Amino acid sequence: MNADVRRARFEAVAPAVIDAVRRYLARRTDPATADDVLSETLLTCWRRLEDMPGEPVLWAYGIARLTLANAERGRRRQARLAAKIAVLDPPPAVTDAPAETDDDLAAALAALRAEDAELLRLWAWEDLSPGQIAVVLDVSINAVNIRLHRAKSRLKDQLGKLHGTAGHEESTEGRRR
Amino acid sequence: MTDNELRARMRQADPAASMAAASPDEVTRLLEQTVTTTTVVNKRQRHYALAAAALILIVAGVAGWALTRPEAATTVQLTGPGAIAAKCVEPSAERLAASADFAFAGTVTALTGTTVTLDVTRVYHGTAADNVEVAQTGETSEQLMGTGKFESGKDYLVASSAGAVMICGYSGEASTPGLSELYAQAFPG
Repeated sequence: MNADVRRARFEAVAPAVIDAVRRYLARRTDPATADDVLSETLLTCWRRLEDMPGEPVLWAYGIARLTLANAERGRRRQARLAAKIAVLDPPPAVTDAPAETDDDLAAALAALRAEDAELLRLWAWEDLSPGQIAVVLDVSINAVNIRLHRAKSRLKDQLGKLHGTAGHEESTEGRRR
Repeated sequence: MTDNELRARMRQADPAASMAAASPDEVTRLLEQTVTTTTVVNKRQRHYALAAAALILIVAGVAGWALTRPEAATTVQLTGPGAIAAKCVEPSAERLAASADFAFAGTVTALTGTTVTLDVTRVYHGTAADNVEVAQTGETSEQLMGTGKFESGKDYLVASSAGAVMICGYSGEASTPGLSELYAQAFPG
């Protein structure tokens, strides 16, 4: 593939990929890490353009997922140092909260296994079908169907549990029908 | 709660829901950054990379072989006895065993102005070695037992602690009365 054709091909898919991956990362990590991982994900996409399938966004999600996992691993190593620095030089609070905070949901998601929570995010936030999730995670559709079903049940259980113990009257309005 | 309700509730909490789309400028910047900061590895470069990797492997292999080949001699380097003004207490096997981290019997094979090379015939204590090089510090090796200094062709018993030859009756000519007994007592077996 000659360089111009290659670049044209990348430019054609880049806007959609950038938009999707930006959101994907914003949902899963802090803004600084999201920026880094976005750049790195794009580099990987560009390098591996020859492997790009017909569904570039799903492919890019898969790359972003692994890149983010790498970044998080690196970050865990630095966490202790960062915690030390934060005590001396606290960073400004980031108030980029979602439109509506739903503490129960956040707590329930956090209580799930990481794999279950990721499945649910891909399903609800990235709005992917089981077939598309299977591409992102590189597993079979069958596996996604089974795991997604279980993950939904677990999330509902968690929400029920939290609702049972906490009396947030105002925050439960309109959720139970 | 149905699946649809669950999904709706999750969507309401989507952290990226209110996120503005990337501006065209931002997209352009990211695009430029991506395609300019990486040089795509083309086939020729890949060949160079492979050749370089192969070369590294060869060098590493040779080095590894050189380091591990059985006939490779291991040489220990020690600092020779220096001018010590302190009086020596009578040597004891206990002290020798306690302070020496390396003790060996060897024959002097080479003498230069600054270095004595000994061919190790027996290691009493410490890691095995084939040769030991002792750096002579000046002319003050009188405190070696026997003739007082290393002489070519003679056999010596030498103990060292932290890389320095132990003197005060702990190192010297192998024929020095009592020295080999001292070693045998300090390092039985």
